[in-house]
Amino acid sequence: MLSRAGLVKRVAVLSVAAVFVAAGCAHADKDVSIEPLVPAAGRVDPGLGPGTRALSSGPGYKASPRWSPGGDRIAFTIDGYVVDRPTDSEELRRWTTRDFIAEDSEWISEDTLMILGAASPSGKEENPNSLYRARADENPLELEQVEKEVSAIGPGRGVLISALGRGAFESGLALMRGNGDLRRLYSESIKGRVASFSLSPDGDEAVLAVRPPGDLEVSRLHVFDLRKGEGREITRLDGNQEIIGTPQWTGQHLYFVAGEKNTPVDRDGSEPLYEIYRVPEEGGAPEAAPGVGEDFVAASIRVSPDGERLALIGRLNPKSPTNLYVLDPLAKDLTAVTTNEDMEIKTGPDDLAWSPEGDSVAVIARGTPSTEPEVRVTPADRLLEDFYNLYEIPVGGPKEATR
Amino acid sequence: MRDVVFWLSGAALAFLLTAGAFLFLANLATAPSEKRLNPDQAGGESVDLILDRERLASLKSLPDQSLALVVENQGGEQLSNVNVTLRVFSENTVLSNPRYYRQTVEKIPAGEAARVRFEFDLPAREDPVARPRTENPEPSREILEIRVTTPEGNSTVRTVILPP
Repeated sequence: MLSRAGLVKRVAVLSVAAVFVAAGCAHADKDVSIEPLVPAAGRVDPGLGPGTRALSSGPGYKASPRWSPGGDRIAFTIDGYVVDRPTDSEELRRWTTRDFIAEDSEWISEDTLMILGAASPSGKEENPNSLYRARADENPLELEQVEKEVSAIGPGRGVLISALGRGAFESGLALMRGNGDLRRLYSESIKGRVASFSLSPDGDEAVLAVRPPGDLEVSRLHVFDLRKGEGREITRLDGNQEIIGTPQWTGQHLYFVAGEKNTPVDRDGSEPLYEIYRVPEEGGAPEAAPGVGEDFVAASIRVSPDGERLALIGRLNPKSPTNLYVLDPLAKDLTAVTTNEDMEIKTGPDDLAWSPEGDSVAVIARGTPSTEPEVRVTPADRLLEDFYNLYEIPVGGPKEATR
Repeated sequence: MRDVVFWLSGAALAFLLTAGAFLFLANLATAPSEKRLNPDQAGGESVDLILDRERLASLKSLPDQSLALVVENQGGEQLSNVNVTLRVFSENTVLSNPRYYRQTVEKIPAGEAARVRFEFDLPAREDPVARPRTENPEPSREILEIRVTTPEGNSTVRTVILPP
């Protein structure tokens, strides 16, 4: 038989238990709202690995990412026109009008871009590109033409290096200051058209990819001494082989992507099978780059700011997905930075760029397009994977990247 | 016997209290999160936008296309003067300026839906001629961005990406 006090005690115990049970469920009240992805506000993982950060969003065909010297802004092209934006916000700044077709751009200071392109989008050889200067503190859409008939540009030591056409069959190099003034025009001519170039690790020489006079393919490598103003041919490719993109100089070797121009596409309809080769800086016959594996299909390469690593975009074999790798040429060690199987990483020769600190690489990627209409609950200019967009992928410092 | 009855009734009471608390918390959790899923929701009555995927798949890159969509009032009050805008543009940001179409739905009673029909032109896809390498070598996709906005400022959006 229960006493009145015992009854009250038991009711109290049951009530407390009920309150505890109910209170235990109260965490549902702290439900976090699902916000749309803000590309630059934080790290997102669109399939390219943890720590990846989107640097653009929305429609448009992006290409040629270029970090500012301080690394806090990145310039790139969208459907041919040039824009840039801070890496930590979405304030896009346009540098050229929509009818301008830019081939390349290079920062020459934190507020000045040198832009290689043509005002009329002919895309034909007979309408050569010019070099323009654009300053952020002026109206950036008002470009100042500083040189005509420019075939390639690249950063030098505190200067911009440009390759100039000299008639139909020759080229020359020039060094240009940030204000657009010519600092040095080299008198020695290079036979053929300079398609691309990059600097040696010490910055005293440049390796040039050259299209010989009368040829359709870029098939020769030259080295040009920027102190002496003298150049020499390092190697030439035989037959139908062509050099793709910009050769890179690391250690005592020059690395480049090459393959047969008319190689039929492989069975899945993807790009031709280009490989990575290297030649000693003294010259010689190209050899397959050690460390990448004999089946590696290369698309683009870029040397790190410290000159000790190569970022590669390619596939381990013709049937594997495209990913970002880092090669330590000395250790002959290839590290997969991404192990993506869902995103299409863009394989243009200029579609990757090291950050100035050398701890991340900008690539361009998108999800696999659907053959059916896709419906999204986000405005078009906020979408990421549906279009080619820029992503910053951390690669770690030299020791991390090469294990 | 009284002791057993007491414990049984106590357990039933605790069960009812707990179940009530669960129901209460479940209602608290679900009602707001539906709104939060909509990125443009500014508070107040919610609207939803329903598209017919089969109709979307049948759209052609030609003039005189039509698309019917359903605007659903998910709130508890009638909505008036609901604006529905359709923006049609190309994936290629250089190719064309967007085209805008707008319709206004006068009334949508609470819990009901209204059908809206747009007649519009899809931009002609560009001729796949040789282009500089900085431009997309693939044919561009067309994009429909549909936005429903109430006079109170609530809105919902759907972006449709049509395959080339």
